[in-house]
Order: sequence, then C-alpha cells, then structure tokens
Amino acid sequence: MDELLYNLKLQIIDALNLEDMTPEDIDDDAPLFGDGLGLDSIDALELIVILDKHYGIKLASPAQGKEVFKSINCIADYIRKNRSK
Amino acid sequence: MDGTISINGMGIVCAIGDDRQAVLDSLLRKESGIGPMQYLPSRHRDIPVGEVKMSTGQMKRLLGIADDVQVSRTSVMGALAVREALAQAGLDAASLAGKRVALISGTTVGVMDVTEQVYGKTEEGVEVPQGNECGRSTEEIAAFSGLGGASCCTICTACSSALNAIMLGCEMLKNDEADMVVAGGSEPLSRYHLNGFNSLMILDRQRCRPFDDSREGLNLGEGAAFVVLEKDAPEGLAYIGGYANRCDAFHQTATSKDGDGAFLAMRDALKMAGIGPEKIGYINAHGTGTPDNDASESAAFRRVFGDTIPDMSSTKSYTGHTTSASGAVETVICVLAMQNGFVPASLGWSRMIPGGFAPTMGRTGVCLDYVMCNSFGFGGNDSSMILCRKRPAPAPVPLRDAAQVRLVARRSVRSDEELSALKEFLSPMETRRMGKIMKASLLSAFLALRDRGLSCPDAIVTATSRGMLECSTLFLEDIAANDEQLLKPTLFMQSTHNTIGSAIAIRTGCHGYNITYSQGDRSLEWAVRDAAMRLRTGEARNVLVCAFDETLSGGRTAQFAAESRIYTLEES
Repeated sequence: MDELLYNLKLQIIDALNLEDMTPEDIDDDAPLFGDGLGLDSIDALELIVILDKHYGIKLASPAQGKEVFKSINCIADYIRKNRSK
Repeated sequence: MDGTISINGMGIVCAIGDDRQAVLDSLLRKESGIGPMQYLPSRHRDIPVGEVKMSTGQMKRLLGIADDVQVSRTSVMGALAVREALAQAGLDAASLAGKRVALISGTTVGVMDVTEQVYGKTEEGVEVPQGNECGRSTEEIAAFSGLGGASCCTICTACSSALNAIMLGCEMLKNDEADMVVAGGSEPLSRYHLNGFNSLMILDRQRCRPFDDSREGLNLGEGAAFVVLEKDAPEGLAYIGGYANRCDAFHQTATSKDGDGAFLAMRDALKMAGIGPEKIGYINAHGTGTPDNDASESAAFRRVFGDTIPDMSSTKSYTGHTTSASGAVETVICVLAMQNGFVPASLGWSRMIPGGFAPTMGRTGVCLDYVMCNSFGFGGNDSSMILCRKRPAPAPVPLRDAAQVRLVARRSVRSDEELSALKEFLSPMETRRMGKIMKASLLSAFLALRDRGLSCPDAIVTATSRGMLECSTLFLEDIAANDEQLLKPTLFMQSTHNTIGSAIAIRTGCHGYNITYSQGDRSLEWAVRDAAMRLRTGEARNVLVCAFDETLSGGRTAQFAAESRIYTLEES
C-alpha cells in the first residue's frame, strides 16, 4: 500500500476510534459517508483536524470537506496537491 | 384558584444590559452587545462574543462578596439576576419564611470557568470533578441572593437548560411540590465551550446573522436570567400558557432536516396553551445563526405555521448565544416585548434562506397577547413555551394519585465484564466513540426496557452528579496541551451532562420528554420526582430514569456505575 494512503488510514483509525479496523479493512475507493463506512458530521470535523495537523491543509468549512472526503483516494489526491508539510 | 402560573418578577444580566431596563433600552435602540473579547482569557481574540460588560470581581463587589472568596462567574451573574427578580416580585427573606421555595437553574458550564483558570497549573492538575458539578453553582446562587433556604435544583440539557428549568418550575407548582419557584439559568463564557464550539466549526468570525443565507455560525454570549413563578397569584407580569419539551432523537450535535424535535415542541406547547398557531403574535426563535439550526428551525416553522409565520426574530443577534441561559434570557425579553408593545428586531439579516422565512426588522406600537419562545439544545433537547399577556382561561390538569407510581424494572451496570453484552444491542461502529460510562448507561437502559417489554419509553429522565467526567477531562487536557488549537470535536460533542439522555433517545427513537438533572447526591431524587410528575399529569405512561456517574484515575475512568429504572402508573 502507498505510504501516504497507509499513514492516512492509520490517522483516521486513531482519530475516529475505529478500534477494530486495520488499514487493509478500509477500501480506497469506497464512500466514507452514508452507505459506505458510515461516518457522520463529527467524523468530517475530525478529518479536517487530521488534514491541518498532519498535512498543513486548512479547510474553511465542513461544506468544503464534502467533496474532499468522498473516499480515501479523494483525500489522498487532495493532500498530494495541497500539502504544506 | 384556577391553577394559573404567572411570572411575578424578572432579573437579567447579559451583553446588552445588567438589568431589565438596560436590556429593554438596547432592544428598542437595536444595539447589539456582541463585540471583541474583553474578559475571557482566550487566545481566540478574533472571535466576537457577547460578554457581560463587567469583570467577575466587579460583580462580586456588587453582591458584597469578599475579593479573596473564589466564586464562579456562573454564580455571581445568577445571583445578580435572582436578586433583581426577587426585588421586582417584592419578595425578601421575611416574606419567604415558612414557604417551600425552589431555585431551579439551567447551566452546563457550571463552575468550569473556575476549574479552567487553575487547570494544568499545578502538578497534580486540578480536580475536574469540581468543574463538572453544575449543582454547586446553583447552591452558590442561592447563598448569594438571599435564597439560602431554597431547595436547589440544576437542569443540564445544554442550550435548552433554562427554558426547561422554567417549565420544571411550572410543573412543581402544578403538582404542589413548591409554593414559589425562582427559575432560569446562568452560563458564563468559558474557554472550555468557546473551544468546543470552535472545534465544531460553528462560530462565526463576524457578527452572527440568524436566518440569513450567508450565516456562518453563532457568536457565543453569556448571561443569566431568572423569573419568579407563582400559582394563583392575583396578577402577574405575564402568564405561562403552555410548554413542551421534546426530543429530536437524531444526532448528538446535528439537527434533523425537517426539525422533528422543534416541530413537536412547538405543536405540543400550542396544544397545552389551547390555542391555534394564528394566535401567536411573535416568535422568539432559537435562531443561533448556524447553517444547521436555522434551516431546520425554518422547516419546523413551516410545519407548524404553514407558509406565513408571525413576526419572528432571533435576539441572539443582540446577546450572542447565551447557551444554557438562553431560554431564560429570551423569556425575559419576550415578557419585556409584551409589556412594552414591541417586537424585537433580528439584526444582521439581509438575504433569505431559499425556502426559509424572513425575520422581522422590528415593530413598535403592537399588542402581543401570545408569544412563543423556542430553545433547542445539543442532543436534540428541544423546548418551546407560550407566554400570555392576559390571564389565560383555566385549564386544570387532573393529577393521578402519587401512590399509583410504581417502579417496575431496575437494572444496573458497573463492571467491565458486563459491558460486552452491549454487542447484543449496538454495532462496533455505533459504540466506537463511547466511553465506559456511556456504554454502561445505554446497556442498563436497554436491559431495563427489555425486562418491561418496551423498545421505546415515553419519557427519559437522567441524573448525574458529575456528568461526562472522562470526556470533559480529556477535552480540558486537549485545550491545555494544544494551546486551544486543533482540538478534538469528538470529545466536546459528548461532554455535556445530557449526552447520555439524548443517546438513549437516539437509540430508542424516543421523541418524548427528555431532561437531565445534576444536583450532587440529590440528582436521582429529583429525577424520580420528575418521573412521578410526568406519570401523574398523564404526559407519559412510562418513564425511563437513568442515573450514572464515574470516578477518574489519571484522567481516565476508574469506577463507573449506571442504573436504569422504569416507572409506570398502576392502573386503578
């Protein structure tokens, strides 16, 4: 697994308390919200904190996160294009 | 003796004034009290707030409290408001002697402002439990306002706390549990909840714009307001027409799209008042200015009122969102509006939410016979109250016999081993954020309900002395360790005392009455008393009471205990 994807999944598992999951359990392309992994609005806020803390990316609002947080691959793409650390 | 409940005294301290007259003047002049932070020691100086324009020290001096006595801002603001309310009602220690007086206060911050001043500055850290003991602030308010003999009770349903406190006062008078009630709420600004709301990304960096399409969130405010409630008084400043406390049962911090809880609260308050929606002359909306609240409250308005609504405004555009105190602050504003014949303007509005409603820009020279006051809280604890200018027609509620109240199921959970049984009821995805106290409480509730053959109770009443201790401590640690930046919303969203009551509602789909008590060792006693009142008035056929508390060691849950009980009324 790509190092960025692997680390990102570990950060998500930790921040979202997905205790019983490993990076391998999370599909790179599956939707994170709704019918996929089933995350909610608080998880979206935690993802915003992850982007800021680990990659130096600031999102202005949860609404902006809707596009970015569609799947693990979407987040990774966004990080590659916008990271400042 | 028609059982009418009247408001006979009012006191208020908030960003637009230190007393009733000052608040009235600001409303009529359309002057907001929201501005740059002056008193709260936070690094977030860029966030506008609605502060009371006095330091805690200045308020202590007004109350004659010595400088070296450590007192919460919650308590001094509350005591000032209670004093003003008692004075207007013409009450003092002599006239209260021999009466059963209750002081009911809504707060969620409690004495956290004191805790956070010293937290992390000593080697051991400071005992967070202190900060979470909301009941202590109410006892201090009683002591500093000349109500030393009152029976103290504290309601913690987040931002609807104070309105629920006033409603509880009415119920106590109707059930003959008190001769006189002083009810309201007090909430100071604290770094704790400023950072909490900031982590939820719902604080506007500009002045809030309730119901405007460009709104980006709320401005936190602070304040206290209390009203003196009496039954069968010859006359009052205003009268309580009806009220309802309902639950959205949707999500801990988000609101349902159609505003289910808000709709039910408004509908049932009108029902109790015995009037149609067309009678309402003014709605004081919850109107926080967050994208979520204003959209769902608008949807709920449409369900209750149709396509045309009465004059509606959010006075949070003046005071900021005074959170747990807001229900009382806005009740006082509603009565001032009725007494003085004006509709308070909504400030900051210019563009309609698609499909929403335009708030009023204010009117004077109007006669308001009926006013609706809305107050909604985290966990979907939604309440609405109808105030009347004239004495309403008597609507006596026959009370069932107290002797018929029965405890019919009782389950407790207090060990790690027992918690594994929660798997029967919830998936790992559902329990992933839950601490032990939440798991134990939910499990005890599910087991008690199952024993009684119920899937959903009619009403939920929870009781806790110190609330979500572990979550609160972890969030305080987060604030200290990360200098108020990039904090975990997951910790804040489940740190309010009503988290468990609303979690039970969400998991069981219970949209009925939902309340949380926090009064030290007497929390459960108050909860059981409330359950009996629900059953006696017929509001509920069964009530789930859940009491919980935990102790910490090294900031983590050490011991925990949760007990759920089901009360019903024995058929005669």
